[in-house]
Amino acid sequence: MTSAPTDLAHPEDPADGLAAVVALRRLADRMEDAQVERALRDGWTWAQVAEALGVTRQAVHKKHARRLRDV
Amino acid sequence: MFERFAGEARQVALKAHSVAAGLGSSSVEAEHLLVSLAGTQHPAGEALREVGLEPEELHDAIQRDFERVLAQVGIDAGGLEVSANCRRTKLRWGASAKRGLERALEEAKRRGDRRIGPEHILLGVLRAENGTVPRILAAEGIDRDELTGRL
Repeated sequence: MTSAPTDLAHPEDPADGLAAVVALRRLADRMEDAQVERALRDGWTWAQVAEALGVTRQAVHKKHARRLRDV
Repeated sequence: MFERFAGEARQVALKAHSVAAGLGSSSVEAEHLLVSLAGTQHPAGEALREVGLEPEELHDAIQRDFERVLAQVGIDAGGLEVSANCRRTKLRWGASAKRGLERALEEAKRRGDRRIGPEHILLGVLRAENGTVPRILAAEGIDRDELTGRL
């Protein structure tokens, strides 16, 4: 019998659960980097990217403009 | 914090920053200090390499740990590539690295050393009980006491 999905999302050992929280934040960071870059390459404006991410234009620009200045 | 770190120790911290950037991390963490240490000619680097922790091996171990931790919550993060543009130029210092450097200062004091060297950073980083570094050491089968005994 396979375990229920809730078992996967809730490791029994807190060390595993907390480590997953850290890794998920890192994963989200990496995804954001990749997806913001992709959107800009596809012609999205900073304002559109910001709206899609649910943050202000200033926030997304401050976070990504420098590394993506050549995109 | 860095004014207390001179010479080799400062180089270790600077290199950790570029290791973190190369891995696409938005912060410098203790595991990046470990990779940096493993690449130095200092005895602390030799000690790491002698137990099999070459910089490349540690690089791979960090990625394996990331994938293993996410797999435990049902997420397959294998093959997630870090594009060149994801490599940020200005990273913040994460809590695990700051803690490791604070402990390096404590280790230097405890040993009565006036200068903070790579060996103190290694001792400081190895003291962590939770987080990526202790998980990697466990996964690689490293005996922490045996490793610190080499310093």
